[in-house]
Amino acid sequence: MLTERIENIRQNYVNAKPAISTERAYIWTQSHMKTAGKATCIRRAQAFYDTCAQLSVHIFEGELIVGAIGEFRKCGILTPEFSWKWVDKEMEHFADRPQDPYVMTKEQCDFVRKEIFPYWQGKSLEEAFLARIPTETAKIGVDTSIIDSDSKWRQAVGEVTPDYQDVLFPKGFGGIIKDAQEKIKKLTATSTDDLAKKDFYDSIILTSQGIILYAHRYADAAENLAKVLPEDSERRAELIEIAAICRKVPENPPTTFKEAMQFVWFTQVGGIISENPLSLNPGRFDQYMYPYYQKDVAEGKITQVEAQERIEALWLKYSDWVWTISANTADYFAGYNQFQNLTIGGKTRKGLDATNDLTYMCMKATAEAKTHQPGLSVRVHADCPQEFLGAVTELVSQGTGFPAIHNDSVGYQMLLNAGYEQEDARDWNNCGCVVPHYRKTGEWTAAVNVNFGSALEYALNQGKSNMTGKKMGLCEKAAKDFITYDEVEKAFYKQFDNLCKHAIILTITAQRIHQEMVPRPFLSSTIEACIEDGRDLSMGGAKYNIGPVITGIGLAVVANSLAVIKKLIFTDAVCTMEELASAVNNNWVGYEALRTKAQAVPKYGNDDDYVDTIALEIANHYYKEIHQYKDIFDAPFNTAFMGISNYIPMGRVLGSTPDGRLAGEPSSEGVSPYVGTDHGTPLAAMRSAAKINQEIHSGGTLLNLRLNHDLVATKRGQANLGAMIQAFFALGAFHVQFNTISSKVLRAAQAKPEAYKDLLVRVAGYSTQFVNLSKSMQDAIIARTEHGEL
Amino acid sequence: MITQDSGYIMQLQNMSVNDGEGIRTNIFLAGCPMTCPWCSNPEGQTLINPMTKITTVDEVVTFVKKQMLFYRYSGGGVTFSGGEATVQAEFLRSMTNAFYDRGISLAIETCGAFAFPVVKDILAKMDTIFIDIKHMDPVQHKKWTGYALNPILENICSVDTLQSNLVIRVPLIVGVNADEENLVAILNFLRNNLRKPQIEFLPYHTYGEEKYRQLGKALPDVNFHTPTEEEQNLAIKLACAFGVEVVSYR
Repeated sequence: MLTERIENIRQNYVNAKPAISTERAYIWTQSHMKTAGKATCIRRAQAFYDTCAQLSVHIFEGELIVGAIGEFRKCGILTPEFSWKWVDKEMEHFADRPQDPYVMTKEQCDFVRKEIFPYWQGKSLEEAFLARIPTETAKIGVDTSIIDSDSKWRQAVGEVTPDYQDVLFPKGFGGIIKDAQEKIKKLTATSTDDLAKKDFYDSIILTSQGIILYAHRYADAAENLAKVLPEDSERRAELIEIAAICRKVPENPPTTFKEAMQFVWFTQVGGIISENPLSLNPGRFDQYMYPYYQKDVAEGKITQVEAQERIEALWLKYSDWVWTISANTADYFAGYNQFQNLTIGGKTRKGLDATNDLTYMCMKATAEAKTHQPGLSVRVHADCPQEFLGAVTELVSQGTGFPAIHNDSVGYQMLLNAGYEQEDARDWNNCGCVVPHYRKTGEWTAAVNVNFGSALEYALNQGKSNMTGKKMGLCEKAAKDFITYDEVEKAFYKQFDNLCKHAIILTITAQRIHQEMVPRPFLSSTIEACIEDGRDLSMGGAKYNIGPVITGIGLAVVANSLAVIKKLIFTDAVCTMEELASAVNNNWVGYEALRTKAQAVPKYGNDDDYVDTIALEIANHYYKEIHQYKDIFDAPFNTAFMGISNYIPMGRVLGSTPDGRLAGEPSSEGVSPYVGTDHGTPLAAMRSAAKINQEIHSGGTLLNLRLNHDLVATKRGQANLGAMIQAFFALGAFHVQFNTISSKVLRAAQAKPEAYKDLLVRVAGYSTQFVNLSKSMQDAIIARTEHGEL
Repeated sequence: MITQDSGYIMQLQNMSVNDGEGIRTNIFLAGCPMTCPWCSNPEGQTLINPMTKITTVDEVVTFVKKQMLFYRYSGGGVTFSGGEATVQAEFLRSMTNAFYDRGISLAIETCGAFAFPVVKDILAKMDTIFIDIKHMDPVQHKKWTGYALNPILENICSVDTLQSNLVIRVPLIVGVNADEENLVAILNFLRNNLRKPQIEFLPYHTYGEEKYRQLGKALPDVNFHTPTEEEQNLAIKLACAFGVEVVSYR
């Protein structure tokens, strides 16, 4: 049961439309006007400090955990240093765009155009990127949905997990300042390296001072609010306690659960105002918070009920921050999602079961508060407690799409494969949606999406786009001239490798510009090796610099399509290549009988080796192709088949495909089957997905399934679901996630959104409020095959 | 042709969760000596019809082998159903032995119309045996099912001598057998004759209607009704009063 306080906060979260605050952008801009000529990291650190010093302070009604990023409770901010152009172009339509609308008033629009954007003209990351990207790459890699990396040059990187265990909680930001000052003492003014380090240390001293000042301003505000309340009021006592906590953390190490909770939120605020990041992950929350919880409960400082309330308060704080993104990006990351991934369960660094009371309390918080944040991930290992698995499947049965369920040992293997030491690999947490990750890491986990379907399209269409007729790929002979299946496959891989190459160019171009333009002092200060070695995250300062992740979209569509070509043309001789190419070019109009035959060819997701093997081979090829490239830190690139909502825009630019899919329809996501083509049981879909060598795709793999709610309505049904999950993981799979809400309910929610405001659904690798999705996204979710009770 | 190597199958259904423990594969064998007019699988009443298919033991084993991991983790296995699985006794025996030797947990759902000595070895390999009682009045039983009651009751008693877990299933059909008098008679029989009497009530449903249409058969009598929640609860209460354990695989 939610407390009345949490329910009130939750009501606002469910009902309020997010609003854009321009405060941060204004202060940031003003600061930059004063720091011209200084080192870039210092300028950014100073801007951070100034923001901490000037941002208006808001303690909202009933809050136990405080710290706002702007004047609105449900709030997004602007980061013009990354990109202001899309904002300038789109802000008048923020309120009425189909996906992720925001409130931004006419006055605000006028204000930013006058006070903020002029300064950034020619200075933003986006402009630099567009100026430097080779024309050939730009043609297929900028706003095309063929290869898409826009979140890496219109936005900050994010994708980092602050190290509470080894940096923040033991040192506090006060300790970080001391460390940096000590380090500076050992530097010499005649060494070029040391000069760069000096700038870095100065930058993290500034950001640390900034976040401490921000906390103290909240302490002052809480005290002022308390003063005017009657002596015996409960809120007064709360405010006095809040003031004391903010006085102490994050400057000093926390000593109580409440202090640690507030510390976590201040760190999150720092991350947000520093760069408005995607995937600023709270990490293994149940691990680093447990010692404080255990001690406070033992000493009678807090009850379980009070701790539960505070966890729910934090969940709402995570959810009230809105990631401000372009309409294009919102297509890829639909649902106001910030991807703050919080991981629970799994094993300890030593290899023991890691579950504790907080593990269960986190699941309870998500079940009760029904917030779309944090992205709750669980690590399930073979010998995990049955109670844990029971709690996981019970949460699944509630239909929120949470938690994302991960295979503990495959996550470990993925990290080993990426070069981690074994203890660190065992300590993994999720990043974003389904990326296995670790706190001492700098990486780009969602660097580029590659549209596999485009490669097939260019192979069959002489290098041209089916939708536009423009030549986007490499030259190729006419489809009718392919004499063998092998030839078709080779032609596909030729186009495929070309897309991969451009994905790499996009990424390393962006990486270089990030180094020059947007160093990350605040977030670097939360990473151990950055402090130790005096190097920013963007300069490769972390212990691990893992190669960027290139995500493959449309594995099922391409595998299914190649299977059709193989069977109908080269095995059964049902039609010629010319006919099929013509059918595809005509969106199957006039070829209905052939389409029926194409649809009857085995489809990925039904445990049929005929087509599953093709999917496996594509995935293996993808890994080899991508893994041979190195990023600017000489780290090999990584592959992923993860989700987000990218399969929708990537399908939109794709003509019809030989598998029978119509032009413009969504592509396929992760290692999931194509919508509606997994006719068997979820077990068959699981077996197909597990055939992919998931452990080599260190950027993560994703399987989404819909289950009929009846199947998991009883304890016994949930126990069977637990067994299904464990069997799936025994097959070597990494992730699975379930939607258990019936199509009937989803249609009702479409028809009457006001009655279903808190209905959470799984999108792809994350959950969000169903009513916050555009109609096309909602339809795509409804279309996913619902596996019923058999 | 029914041999020890092949027989008529209606369907192989993975991820079945209501006919025994865990996640199971249901193997629906065609053919049935009874002719219950409410049957939810009318394609199983005859061996050969457009909805049945000759299938070899090897094919079934290949199909089932892919599911082993799911059985292992869930405590599931294979359930023979139908139709009446014992009609094709040789085929059933081959499959039973093949699965038994692979350590797969087995269950059978039967109407009880079999020659016990002929199938005893098969039944002895089952972990769970579900046997239906449709009616306790011999005249009514014959009228509805076309089959005598007595052999069914005798077989139930015989099966109870095996080591398997025995569950009596009663399809609850208002208009046929859901009246208190009939239920009392069933419960009395179970209490007086079984070592550890267990009963599962299966409320009548009409999910099979589409199959009637496909087979060109007349739909079941509109006077068959699904018991209300209340009627189902009454049956459960009654069973408890008789000391018969009510089980459910829902």
